[in-house]
Amino acid sequence: MRYLPAIGLALAFIVSVPTADADSHTEASAQFINTLAERAITTIADSELSVEERRAKFRDLFREGFAVGGIARFVLGRYWRTASVTERDEYLKLFEDVIVSTWADRFSQYSGQKFEVNGAHPVPSVNDGENVALVESRFLVDPTTPVRIEWRVASRGDLFMIVDVSVEGISMANTQRDEFNSFIRKSGGKVSALLDELRSRAGS
Amino acid sequence: MLNSVFNFKFIRFAVVLTLAGALGACATPPLNDPEARAAYEEANDPFEPANRLVFSVNVMVDQLVLQPTAVTYRDLVPDGVKQLVRNFFTNLFMPLSAIHSLLQGDLDRAGQAAERFLTAVPTLLLANTMPEEDPVFEDADQTMAVWGFDAGPYVMLPILGPSSVRGTVGTIADFFIDPVSFVLGSDASIGRAVGNAVETRSRNLEQVRDLQKNSVDYYAAVRSLYRQQREDQVRNGASEPMQPAPTIGLDLDDPRAVIGETASGH
Repeated sequence: MRYLPAIGLALAFIVSVPTADADSHTEASAQFINTLAERAITTIADSELSVEERRAKFRDLFREGFAVGGIARFVLGRYWRTASVTERDEYLKLFEDVIVSTWADRFSQYSGQKFEVNGAHPVPSVNDGENVALVESRFLVDPTTPVRIEWRVASRGDLFMIVDVSVEGISMANTQRDEFNSFIRKSGGKVSALLDELRSRAGS
Repeated sequence: MLNSVFNFKFIRFAVVLTLAGALGACATPPLNDPEARAAYEEANDPFEPANRLVFSVNVMVDQLVLQPTAVTYRDLVPDGVKQLVRNFFTNLFMPLSAIHSLLQGDLDRAGQAAERFLTAVPTLLLANTMPEEDPVFEDADQTMAVWGFDAGPYVMLPILGPSSVRGTVGTIADFFIDPVSFVLGSDASIGRAVGNAVETRSRNLEQVRDLQKNSVDYYAAVRSLYRQQREDQVRNGASEPMQPAPTIGLDLDDPRAVIGETASGH
């Protein structure tokens, strides 16, 4: 019996949060994530797809929903400044290829999983003319272990894009950045070494 | 990885070994390249060469012993029994969690941890008596973080895995603080730590394989994951508005922005 209030509270939370944050871009961000995740679960996770088809579909959604260039630049960290324009161009392309191949394959296991957005709140933005919202969600890989996922959504007018995803408090952008920076530093500070590595991975 | 309870002699041995190795092989900060120097400072890993060495041994031990054991456990033990085992290890952790919640001044969570433990006692600690709430996991490292101590440099402990200077102190402190380790004695405590490691490892087999396969620098990926996970645990899962990645903007991705700004921007 002692669980009833807690369950009631949890339900109230799920139902009331989107309206409690009446801020329109925050609400629109939550809606944006909901739609995108639904589409991802129904199209990309379709187990009938071939690897190539799945990657193509994932690439479309990734380009549409994520600030791929901004994420890639952040992930390269301080080495973005030292990279030449040619290196930057190739890096942006390879970054997208590598993300697409790893995540499209991961998505093949997510067919028919449950996903629910359970709140959103605005967070400070450091970029002019942009609003940022954190959208909180739960993804049920199996019924007993919900995974906590936070989406950082930036918006300019009616343009909405994901700039980072955190899984159980771990930011994908930060992790990738730490990894790439360590790799480049170990390779004598050469961005070209990372490009070689990414090229070999993108081809696989 | 193996939490808090471990044979003290072993920990002392491990710490001495790590520190001896670390002192012998500190990374030399890059002096002339400002970018490399900034990256070095950001990594906050002055023992990196020694840490990488210990890490490669840990990975080998994992591949040879822990991972195969965890696979066997996953494949042979029925799901219902696995759930009981998981509940058991979680419940055993609750006295320590309750103490640390108190030390952090969090009475709610201390009460939750104590309640989870006490209500599970009649079931021999096998039941999850509060299924609608996430279990409270608090340890000395988190308490010191709440008290304002920095984590300090990254430390890779032999067998025990990723830690920090603060985390290493915390692991040793918890051996003395945890009432369960007094009751169990040192042999049973080792058994508990090993069992806990196998149980945890059996739940992240795919994730670890995925990470190993997809990272360009596995050591750096684990370091980053460890730090972010600890910070998340210190915050008890509350979101941190300015973390992560607050600076990512849409200037490179807005199709309506001026063409030609792309790769040469910033």
